[in-house]
Amino acid sequence: MDDNQRIVITGVGVVAPNGIGKEAFWENCAKGVSGIKPITLFDTSDYRCHYAGEVSDFDPVPYLGKKGLRNLDRTTLLSLVAAKLAIEDSGIAITDENRDEIGVVLGSTMGSVKSISDFDMEGLREGPRYVNPAKFPNTVINSPASQVAIRFGLQGLNSTISTGFNASHDAVGYAMNMLKLGRAQTLLVGGVEELCLQTFLGFYKLGLMARGTFTDPVKDPFMAPHKGTVLGEGAALFALETYEGAKQRGAHIYAEILGYGQQFDPECDDRYNPQATGLMGAIEEAFADANLKPEDIDSVSLSANGVKGCAESEEYALEQVFGYRAKELTRTNIRKLIGESFSAGGAFQMAQSLVASKTEPITTAATSVQASANFTANSLVLGSGPLGHMTAIILKQG
Amino acid sequence: MHQQRVVVTGIGVVSSIGIGWQAYWDALLAGTLGTTPVNYFDTSEFPTHIGGEVHNYQPTEFISELPHSQNLARGAQFAVAATKMAMEDADLDRSLSLDNKVGVCLGTTMADVQELETINSDWVFKGPKHTSAAQYKRYPSFSMSASIAKCFGFKGPNTMIPTACAAGNYAIGYAHDLLKLNKADVVIAGGAEPFSRTVFEGFNRIFAVSPDKCRPFDKNRKGMIPGEGAGIVVLERYEDAQARGATVYAEVLGYGTSCDATHMTIPSVNGVANVMRNALKQAGLNPEDVGYINAHGTGTAANDKTECAAIRKIFGERADSMPVSSVKSMLGHAMGAASALEAIACILSLKFGQLVPTINYENMDTECDIDCVPNKSRKFDSKVAIKNAFAFGGNNASLVLAEMNS
Repeated sequence: MDDNQRIVITGVGVVAPNGIGKEAFWENCAKGVSGIKPITLFDTSDYRCHYAGEVSDFDPVPYLGKKGLRNLDRTTLLSLVAAKLAIEDSGIAITDENRDEIGVVLGSTMGSVKSISDFDMEGLREGPRYVNPAKFPNTVINSPASQVAIRFGLQGLNSTISTGFNASHDAVGYAMNMLKLGRAQTLLVGGVEELCLQTFLGFYKLGLMARGTFTDPVKDPFMAPHKGTVLGEGAALFALETYEGAKQRGAHIYAEILGYGQQFDPECDDRYNPQATGLMGAIEEAFADANLKPEDIDSVSLSANGVKGCAESEEYALEQVFGYRAKELTRTNIRKLIGESFSAGGAFQMAQSLVASKTEPITTAATSVQASANFTANSLVLGSGPLGHMTAIILKQG
Repeated sequence: MHQQRVVVTGIGVVSSIGIGWQAYWDALLAGTLGTTPVNYFDTSEFPTHIGGEVHNYQPTEFISELPHSQNLARGAQFAVAATKMAMEDADLDRSLSLDNKVGVCLGTTMADVQELETINSDWVFKGPKHTSAAQYKRYPSFSMSASIAKCFGFKGPNTMIPTACAAGNYAIGYAHDLLKLNKADVVIAGGAEPFSRTVFEGFNRIFAVSPDKCRPFDKNRKGMIPGEGAGIVVLERYEDAQARGATVYAEVLGYGTSCDATHMTIPSVNGVANVMRNALKQAGLNPEDVGYINAHGTGTAANDKTECAAIRKIFGERADSMPVSSVKSMLGHAMGAASALEAIACILSLKFGQLVPTINYENMDTECDIDCVPNKSRKFDSKVAIKNAFAFGGNNASLVLAEMNS
C-alpha cells in the first residue's frame, strides 16, 4: 500500500481517572491501579450507586495557564488538556504554514450535556432574559472540538462524531478516511466524556448501572457477573497522520492503524444482539481493510462494560471469528480500571493498547479478564453499543 | 482510486413551508414565509416570539408501518419520515438487496433536545430524581441515526455528525466520501432538528433573533429566526444509479471544510473564504465554473457581511453579478437540518434551472453587494453551484453540486 494511505499514531494525550499524561496512565494500567472511587462531582445520596471513574482534582491550569478558561466547561477543559499533551508528544510545531492542514476529530455524543442542561435550567429558574450569554456557545455539541481548534490555532478539518459508546472508535475511522483522501495532514483524534449528574441519571434510570452495595468497587466494578456498569470520564486524543508524513518529519510512531470496520446491527433494540451479527460484520470488515486473517491477531481490547448482554455478545462474536483460538487471545478491558467513559471509551481502549510490550501482564479482577496486558504485534479494539453501532479497529504496534 | 461519481437519486423533506420535495420546491419558488408565532413553549417572557416550526404535520401515521417507529422523539420522527420519502422517491425499496451496504450519515445541532428540555423542566420543578428514563433514552444524537437504520434495516456505516449549523453539509460530504471509498453502496444523508427552547433562549440572549422576519443581506436585517425540520438525500455511485435506471437529481462534485479557529460565535472572512476555496479545489474546479451560491445567509449582521466579503475574496468582480440566495429568509434557521434542506433547494435549482429567491428583501446594503435574487425566483442556466454552511465554533463546510449531464 502507498505510504500516504497508511495511517499511523504519532502522539498520545491522556487525561484518565487513573492518571493524567501517558506515563502515569500506562504505569497505572500496568500496575492495575484503578481510577474508580466515590463520586465527588455531585451528590449521589438519593441513588443506589456512589462510585465512578472520576478524574480527581482535575486542574487544567498547570497545562493551559490561567488565561481564557473562565467560561469553559469540564468537557472542553478535559479535551484541551488531552490535546495539549498529544500535540507536545507528537512533536508537531504548529505554524502559519501548516495550521490549515491540522485539524480535530472528536468523539463526543452530547458535548457537555451539563452545559446544555444548566443553560436551559437557568432560563427556567431565572427567566430567559437572565441566562448567561457567555455560556451559550457551550451548548453546541461541537463546542469542545472547536475550542481545541481555537486554543491551538488549528484551521484544518474540524469535526465531531457522536455515535454514543462508539463515538471515539468512529472518530478514528472518520479521521482515517479523511487522511487517506488528503483532507488533512494531521488530525487530533479521540474522545471526551465528562462525568455529571445528567449522564449519571441517564445511565441510572435506563438500568445500565450497577446498583447496591459493592463488595469491592475496585476489584469488581461491574458487580460480576453483570449487574451493570460503572461510569467513567476523561479525554484521550492521538495525533494521526499518514506514514509518509510521519516518515518525512522523522516522527516517533506508536502504532499503525491497519484496519477499521463499522456496521450497524438493526437486531439491537436497546439490548445487545446475542448473535452479534453486526459486531462480527464489523470485525470482518476490519480484517478485509487490514488484509489480515484472524490468526494474525494477538490481543483483543474488549468493549464489555458490565451491562447485561454486552460481554456475552462480544464473547460470542470472538468465538465465531476466532474459533478455538478465541480462548488463547489476550484480553484487556480498560473499563475495569476507569469505568465506562461512553464517547471517550474507544480512545481509552486504544491508549491502553499502546502500552506496548513494556508492561507485565497482570490480573486485577476476580475474573479471567486482565485489566492490562503484555501487548504484542496486532491488537483488535472492539466497540459495541446497545443501539446497534458496532466497530472494530486493528492496531499494529510500531 | 476515488474517481467514482456520486449522485443524488432521492429527496425527502420535512419543512415549515412544505412536506415532501415537490411541496417544498413549489413553496420555495413562490417565496413562502414559514416563520410564525412559536407554538412549542410560552414565549411571553422572551423578547421575540417568532419561530420556523413545522405545523400541522404528524409524521407518526406516515411512518407507523415501519418497525421500531413507535415512541420516537420529534427530531427522529422528522428524520425517519424524510428518509421514507427519499427512499420512495429513489425507488430504492424494490431495488435494494440484502447485500447492499446502506449507510446513514446524519447531522444535527442539538440532537433531540426537546427530550432534554423535558428533563430540565422536571429537574427544576420536581427535582432531578423525578426525571424520566424515556427522555434520557431518546435525547442523545446517536438515537436519531440509529432510528433510521432500525426502521429500514440498514446495516452500513451509521454516523452522526453534530457540527451545529453546518452539520447537514458535513453529513452529505462525508456520505460522498464513504461512497468514493466503497465503504457503502447507498448512503442516506442529511440533517434533522426539532425546535428548541435552549436555542431560542440563547440566540435571543445574544440579540441575534429577528422579532418579525428574517431578512438576509438587507441593510435593515435584524437577525436569524430559529427553526426545525429534516432534509434527507439518497446518495449513490453514478454507475449504480445508471444500472438500476434511477432518476438523478444532481451530482455531488465534492466538498471542503475549514475551521475559523478564532471565535466560537463571530464568523471569520478568512475561514469562510477558505471553505469555498477548499471545496472548489476538492472538486477540481475554478471559481469561474460556479454560477450560483446557495448562501448560509442567516440574516444576522455579522454572518451576511462576512459571507459576502468572503465571496468577493474568492470570486473577485464576478461577485457583483453572482446570484447568492438564502433559503433562511423563508424557513428561518433549521439548525442541524438547515444546510441539508438548503442543499436540497440548491439541487432542485440545478435540476429545474430555477433560482430560489431571498424574500423579505427591501434595502440594499453596501456590505452585502451581491445579487441575492431578491423576492422573486428566476431562471438560470449554470451547471455548477456552491452550498455554503458555517457553524458555531467556526466549523465551515461547502458542497459543490452540479447539474447531471450524462
